[in-house]
Amino acid sequence: MPISRREFLRRSMYATLGGVGLYSGFGNLRLLQAAALQSNYAFSDYKALVCVYLYGGNDGFNTIVPYDSATYATYAGSRAGLALAQADIQANNLTPAAFVGGLPGGPPSDGAAYGLHPAMPELRGLFNAGHAAVVANVGSLLYPITQQQFQQGQVPPPPQLFSHDDQTAQWQTSRPDDANANGWGGRIADVLSSGNANPQFSMSMTLSGTNLFQRGAMVNQYAIDPGGVQAMSYLGNGLESWVAGGTTDDTNAYNALIRGPTPSNALERAFAASSSSAIDYYTVLIDALSQAPALTTTFPDTELGNQLKMVAQLLQVRAKLGANRQIFFVSAGGYDTHTDQLAQQQANLTQLSQALSAFYNATVALGLDQKVTAFTASDFGRSLSVNSGGTDHGWGGHHFVVGGAVRGQRFYGAMPSLLTTAAGNPNDTGYGQIIPTTAVDQYGATLASWLGVNGSDIASIFPNLGRFNSSNLRIFG
Amino acid sequence: MKAFTSNWLCISVLALVLWPTLCLAQVAGPYSDAEAARFLAQATFGPTATDIVHLRQVGYQAWLNEQLAAPVSTQKPYLDWVAGLPNVPDGNNTVNDDTRMEAWWINALGTPDPSRGKRVATDQLRQRVAFALSEIFVVSNANGTLAYEPYALASWHDMLATDAFGNYRSLLEDVTKHPAMATYLSMLANQKADPTQNIHPDENYAREVMQLFSVGLVQLNPDGTPKLDASNQPIPTYDQTVVRGMAAVFTGWNWNNTSCVTGSWTCCAADTYTNCGPSNTNDPAWWNPLQPVADFHDSTSDKQLLNYPGVALSNGILAHGGDARSEMTATLDNIFNHPNVGPFIARRLIQRLVTSNPTPGYVRHIAQVFADDGSSAHVRGNLQAVVQAILLDPEAVIGASYVPNPDAYGKLREPLLKLTHLWRAMAAGSQNGRVDTPYPEWESSYGQAPLRSPSVFNFFKPDFQQPGELRQRGLYGPEFQIHTATTAVAIPNDIFHRIFCDYTTSTRCYTSSGPNTMSINADRDAALALNNPAGLVDLYNLLFMSGQMSSFMHSTLLTRLNALTDNSAGDLGRQRVQHALYLIINSPEYSVQK
Repeated sequence: MPISRREFLRRSMYATLGGVGLYSGFGNLRLLQAAALQSNYAFSDYKALVCVYLYGGNDGFNTIVPYDSATYATYAGSRAGLALAQADIQANNLTPAAFVGGLPGGPPSDGAAYGLHPAMPELRGLFNAGHAAVVANVGSLLYPITQQQFQQGQVPPPPQLFSHDDQTAQWQTSRPDDANANGWGGRIADVLSSGNANPQFSMSMTLSGTNLFQRGAMVNQYAIDPGGVQAMSYLGNGLESWVAGGTTDDTNAYNALIRGPTPSNALERAFAASSSSAIDYYTVLIDALSQAPALTTTFPDTELGNQLKMVAQLLQVRAKLGANRQIFFVSAGGYDTHTDQLAQQQANLTQLSQALSAFYNATVALGLDQKVTAFTASDFGRSLSVNSGGTDHGWGGHHFVVGGAVRGQRFYGAMPSLLTTAAGNPNDTGYGQIIPTTAVDQYGATLASWLGVNGSDIASIFPNLGRFNSSNLRIFG
Repeated sequence: MKAFTSNWLCISVLALVLWPTLCLAQVAGPYSDAEAARFLAQATFGPTATDIVHLRQVGYQAWLNEQLAAPVSTQKPYLDWVAGLPNVPDGNNTVNDDTRMEAWWINALGTPDPSRGKRVATDQLRQRVAFALSEIFVVSNANGTLAYEPYALASWHDMLATDAFGNYRSLLEDVTKHPAMATYLSMLANQKADPTQNIHPDENYAREVMQLFSVGLVQLNPDGTPKLDASNQPIPTYDQTVVRGMAAVFTGWNWNNTSCVTGSWTCCAADTYTNCGPSNTNDPAWWNPLQPVADFHDSTSDKQLLNYPGVALSNGILAHGGDARSEMTATLDNIFNHPNVGPFIARRLIQRLVTSNPTPGYVRHIAQVFADDGSSAHVRGNLQAVVQAILLDPEAVIGASYVPNPDAYGKLREPLLKLTHLWRAMAAGSQNGRVDTPYPEWESSYGQAPLRSPSVFNFFKPDFQQPGELRQRGLYGPEFQIHTATTAVAIPNDIFHRIFCDYTTSTRCYTSSGPNTMSINADRDAALALNNPAGLVDLYNLLFMSGQMSSFMHSTLLTRLNALTDNSAGDLGRQRVQHALYLIINSPEYSVQK
């Protein structure tokens, strides 16, 4: 098996330094990390991707809903007690643009009329204004797979289908065939980081804690609290530094402990490395954020709203961080709507729509709307069949891509049938879950390509991409 | 150490198969205060000087026997007590999830319980194991319903504490029938298929009870390593047909009707199935086990359950016709007897108490005890035996020098357990016995708090690998999942507040003199710190680091303490105590329990 240059460098580092020396201090780590990053990217412009992860599995089939009489009747027949009112969907209708120039992207493939969940008027506005697109029926796949192939076992589906943990991992790694894979956001960062003026500063930032999506081989994700970046009280620049600490003796002692002689225990080395890098990072960030003007856009005071607001603040200081390419991760929970779905999804989608809209507006205000793309991702879609009061874990689901660079007001990919299993839905696994027709690999590769990853790196980041009929969904032209 | 080692001689002579029966009773010690402190770090919420002395007096086994016999400390009585207080000051008798957290602290710390005449909880091991179980069998207040149901969550924790030394099979049944779990994983009011409404039974609990609470996704060898097929791939433990089979089993369960007759809330029956249930947070339906409603149980389909060598049901198929109770019993038996359960639960409990990367031999030993407790009755699933075996295994008691990769031994301390350790070792307490709720909440600073996980997958996963050396070497470090750049600052800052603001007699900060504020007794060691700073470092090396402090760290601390010289306010000793504590608790060496 051929070893990539990056992998070769990484292995050489461990061979020569024995793994231990590598962690003898943050300075060394940075040098080595920079050396190991590929150096064939250089950017004069700025671009960022924002992954909006909906933990629990959003029900795409009650998010984007048909309202023409015939298709609505099919939908209402499948969704029974969970069906949204036809008039409410029609009042929040989408007005897709026509196909142009032989490119994908246009009205929904099934010819039906769709609207958004009534909780999402803001997102409807973005779609109809051309700043948002729908990508239909995306899910984790090993190969393209039909109902017959699935039911007769002719083509392997991803392992552990319908399990949160596994489907989340498959969405975030795009590697259902490799349980140990890094995230595709992390793999993108591994190749693109060298294009940043300051590659030591992680291009992967998370506003909602550690995630698999951003786990890279070389680039570590940097976690930021949406409420702001804290400094250490004991080191003299924190909230309670007035109480104690802050002397040279204090900082010397603290630094000696976290940056001193390499600990003999591997877990201690890892703890020391992340503790010291946290301090190095906040020193830069706090300084940058303190000099940035207040945002002119008002954000909703919600979980997603606050996270995306901090992303917007970080966008403002991108130059201070030496960032030309960045990937952000935000998330919201509560999408696992087995019960009480009508009320829960109403709240979830209200939050999503308002936050995405505010974020888009902020990018406009910052003059970055062409440079920043947000996209949704989720564990899985939900079953078309229902539990009492909710829906079960499914497979394919619909997603949104939002930003000024998006060829918006369009549906990409194929809309699935909404028939019940019993009525012969051709997209059905046989038990109410919908088989995806667009792979996460295609979705991810399209976004990575827009961000600037070249063709050969796309092929190595998404090794299964060639199995699908197109390697780029052409969402960005 | 020599005398100690001789007690382990049987290991080298006898096959590990015989270990549980022949060697369990022979574990003697501890032979030093440091060994005692180390054991207490694994078995309690943190060693205290008193506990070290006591453990040395009685020895490991007698200490364990005392702990097994200690009465269970529960949380629900505390909620009742708070509810009965006068509402002065305003909010004093409010019962919410913060009240439940207070009860957890009081039991975990063993501080005098104001709700029970200042009784001090003595069941440290039980509370510690219950906390570990709460990170395996996860329910959480991060849920639209349970956020407002402190009685449900308190009774959940009480159930874990009560069952901690019982049988896993009973625990599994109590977990399954508890209304908190039934709410959290939507088994409550799950119903049989209804084709007219396109309704399938809810698969949520069916999937997670297997994936997270019992057998896991892939077949395991007795030592916890995955079984591999001919092409070196792991073998799934079950497939979707089993998830569906179990989903059908877990239909027809609803709230326990006890007390519904009072008219305060709608009783559950066939005609009220989806709109019955308790109306008040302290209605007993929030803690009584679920009851079946026959009309909604699927009694007509055959159900595929787990199939494995020696399975009691032919091919793992449960024939139709049973009622909700009998089918649940058969199904939980079917899960309980799967060969994965022992190694699956063993690895998780070992990771919570002792080490993140147990050797296969350690897991195999514990799995064997799970399979057969060594008693004449040959009981399977005896958690009391399992917990003792985990703590008395040479890998726990001897530690790094016992394993092939000594530099990978141990575990990152759970952030919240740093605070329990600080407070216990420093005899913290509040004026009125209650525990103040901080802002931001515990979980915001520490990345965790009991029954407040962001999802059923806990704050961190058993297989989390920190990128860098740990991942490169294939080493697990679950707790690293919450050691982010954010918590790497937030945790030291909260510890800072606890040490430098909130000490006995302090008026330093806004919180310092509050009646609910937990204050450390920094003055206890002030005289020692003043006269003999090296002695203070030695004392804390024992209390916090089981005597494992490196000479570099020792001298670094001593340099810092000696540089504090101004005693004009008469508080030099206390200041040295504070700096020593802060530097230790946030140090890499302390942060890894090993």
